[in-house]
Order: sequence, then C-alpha cells, then structure tokens
Amino acid sequence: MNAALKNRRGWCAAACAFSLTFSFILHAADTPVLVQLDAKKAGPRTVESLTGRGILRDYRLAWTSMAQALQFNTADPLEGPFAGEAKQQLLQTVTQQQHSGLTQRYLDQHHRLEAVFYAPEGDVMELHDTAEYQLQLADGGKVIHDEHVVMHFVVLMTPAADRWVIRHLQAVPQF
Amino acid sequence: MYRLLPTGVAICAAMCLAFSAVGVCTAQDIRVPQTSTAGEEATISTTGTGKATFYLVGPAVSRKSDLILGEEIHLPAQDLRNAGGYLAVVCSDTCRSAAFYVSAAKPAILTFLVHPSRVPVSRPDAVSGVAIPFDKFHNLVLAPETVNFQSTAGTSSLFSRQARTQDGIAWFRTASGKSAGTVQVVASLDDIAAKRAVQQVASDPCNLRIKGQRTANGIVVETEPVHDCAGNVVPDGTIVTFTATEDNNRSTVDAPIKKGIARAQIEGTGPASISVASGVVMGNELRIGAKP
Repeated sequence: MNAALKNRRGWCAAACAFSLTFSFILHAADTPVLVQLDAKKAGPRTVESLTGRGILRDYRLAWTSMAQALQFNTADPLEGPFAGEAKQQLLQTVTQQQHSGLTQRYLDQHHRLEAVFYAPEGDVMELHDTAEYQLQLADGGKVIHDEHVVMHFVVLMTPAADRWVIRHLQAVPQF
Repeated sequence: MYRLLPTGVAICAAMCLAFSAVGVCTAQDIRVPQTSTAGEEATISTTGTGKATFYLVGPAVSRKSDLILGEEIHLPAQDLRNAGGYLAVVCSDTCRSAAFYVSAAKPAILTFLVHPSRVPVSRPDAVSGVAIPFDKFHNLVLAPETVNFQSTAGTSSLFSRQARTQDGIAWFRTASGKSAGTVQVVASLDDIAAKRAVQQVASDPCNLRIKGQRTANGIVVETEPVHDCAGNVVPDGTIVTFTATEDNNRSTVDAPIKKGIARAQIEGTGPASISVASGVVMGNELRIGAKP
C-alpha cells in the first residue's frame, strides 16, 4: 500500500514537473501579443480601416515570429513578416545567439502603435510603437536578466504581395 | 515568476554585502555610455573585484565574454553599427544590467520613392515623392534634416522645394508639368542625391478634327494631328472612334493613333454623317455626299 502510494506520488511529481515545464514552453511560444493601432494622425494618405486591420494582423504576427526566433534561436519564423534591414538584423542576432548560447524571451507583449506617416501612394507607412513586455535574457537556460520594459520603436512597414512587412525596426529613447 | 528574480538578486546582493566583509566577493556596478553614435567605439566601466561575465545584447549583437571587475569594457565600433537599444549585463555572484541607446550616424543614403512613373500633363497633385535618409550602416536618421526636391525637364526647372524630415521622412506632392517628355526628379541632402525619372505624356485630346473623302471602296476619314489642350502630341496607340450614320444605319470603327493621326475606312455608298470621339472628347461632324 505504502509502496503504491509512493509510486503514485512519484508519478504525480514527475507529471507536475513535466506539466510545469511544458506550460512554461507553451507560455513562451503562445504568449498573446496585444496590438492597438491609432491611425487618426497618419497622413498625407488616410489609413482605411481594411489597411488598419492588415497592419494590426501583420504587426502582431511579426512580433510573435520575432519572439519565437529569438527564444528558440531559429531563423524560420523570420521568413515572411520581415524584409530588408529589419530581417538582416534579426537573422544576425539569431546567428550570434546561436554562438553565444544566449536566448531572449518577450513575454506579455502589449504594443500601442501610432501611424505617423502614410505615403501619398500608400507604399510606405511609418509607425511609432510604445511596447511593454517582460524581457528575459538567458544564458544556456539560466535567466540572467528579467525586467518589465517599456520601449519605443520607430517602424517602417511596406506592403508586399499579400501582407505588410516590417522593413525597419529601430528602438529609440523617446519619440 | 517574474518577481522571483529580483528577490533572488536582492538575497544574493545581501549575501554579497555580508561576505564582502571577509573578502569573498564584492558587489559590481556597471556604467554605460550616456549617448553613442552608430559605428563609433564606446566603453563601459565596471566596479568591484573578481571575475565576471559580460553580456551585450542589441540589434544584430549577442555577445558574451569574460571580464575582470573594475576594468573597462571596450565596445568596438563593429558591435555598435546598428542604431537602437542595447542591454549590457555583468554577472558575477549577481547580475547587474544597464541599457543604453545608439543613434544613427550622419546621412549617407537617401531612399527616394517617386510616383507615378508615367503621368498625363497638367494634372494637379499627380506626382509625389518620399525621401528617407539612412546612415552608412542603413540606420534610419531621425534627426531633422533638410531635403531639397527638384524636378527638371531638359534644362528648365519645373519645381523646387525644401522639406524638413519629420520622424525621418520628407515628402512632396506637386502637379505634373505642361509638356510631354521625361522629367528628372531629384532629392538631395548635403552631398547625397537620388534621381528618378517620370515620363510625362499628353493629356486627353483637345479640338479633335477630322477630314474625309469618298473613294472607290467607301469613305476614308482621318484626324488632323491629335494634340492635347497644351499642344502635346497625343501618344500613338490612343484609340479614336469614328461613327458613320447612313440612312439610319450606324457603323463604328476604332482606330489607333499612328504618328499623331488616326485613320479609318468606312464602307457605304449613300450620303453619310461621320463623327469622331476619343475617350470623353468629341470632335467635329463631317458630311460626305453619296457616291456619284
């Protein structure tokens, strides 16, 4: 009876440990990315509601993909949502992280986007992103930095065949 | 979970302080540059004693190296090529971190988008351009800069305007010129310039006039040279529609302009009334008598 109880407790502990680990990984990969867009001040071209929805969808996807790429040190998620300089920088970051053994996690992301410029012909949009998230930096699995941060990003997005892509993502101290 | 680490850091720091009295370890501090420019070297100073690990994370950078606390960390220009936010972390018994920003260097590249590449003459707000300055490392230059926009046709200047960049972007919008031909549009910032070409084509035909004569096979009609209202020759390929009405019978022929003139042959032997149109523009009406 006691042996059976011990055995059951052992299984339970193992299951709990597995479930905790699994939920931790899931949380990192599936943490929701909240994005709000204010396009009222954008000009000279007006941002139509359909365009605004596309920006929201693709910006959210871009940050989800970036978080995955930098957490798991893989370049695959960067194919699609990023182009140009933004993509090059992220690919380089992933490559460097693979060498250094570092990983980054972006948790509980909340982005307040403001469209500040939309080109007359609709071929480029500049946005300001006030982003809040929990940034974790880990060296070989050991967390060496964990901080809730508020960051400001200047973003250039351009329309591609079926989506908006981030061409430039540059953090600034303030707008 | 996020609160665990600061708590752990606090405990470790307290232990460190307690042990420092007996010389086991000393707390470290880290001082990062106040301002830094892309492509320039920088130094980070640390305090404390003993060995530590230094981490630098930023755009396209993820670096880890050993460090003796109290020594300066030299950041080569190569590591600071990209403008943006950087995080420096020093870990010994505890980890300390500091963030700093690198701003773009001076403009070296001008991205210039001009639309459209082909435009009818004399259209208001028909041509627009957007200029975005970048430094030599392809960082967006956010400091305000003055961009000169100019458009020229041959040797004559059509348009000239200065615009200050706002959030790294300057733009203009203007009417197309009055003459058909290639217009060069230039954006310049100090000694950097970007050139684009816009092809201005004639606008809709104006004063469309036809003449015609009866031949053995019917009626041959042709336009006089087709121009727009500014006198530019309407481009070849523009369709002109001839309509002939004969005894309540109506026939229509479309003909493209070739070398400025559209020509068509209409069958029929009786007296005919012929009209002409191109797009929404109507021309004169012509009456041709019956075949003798």
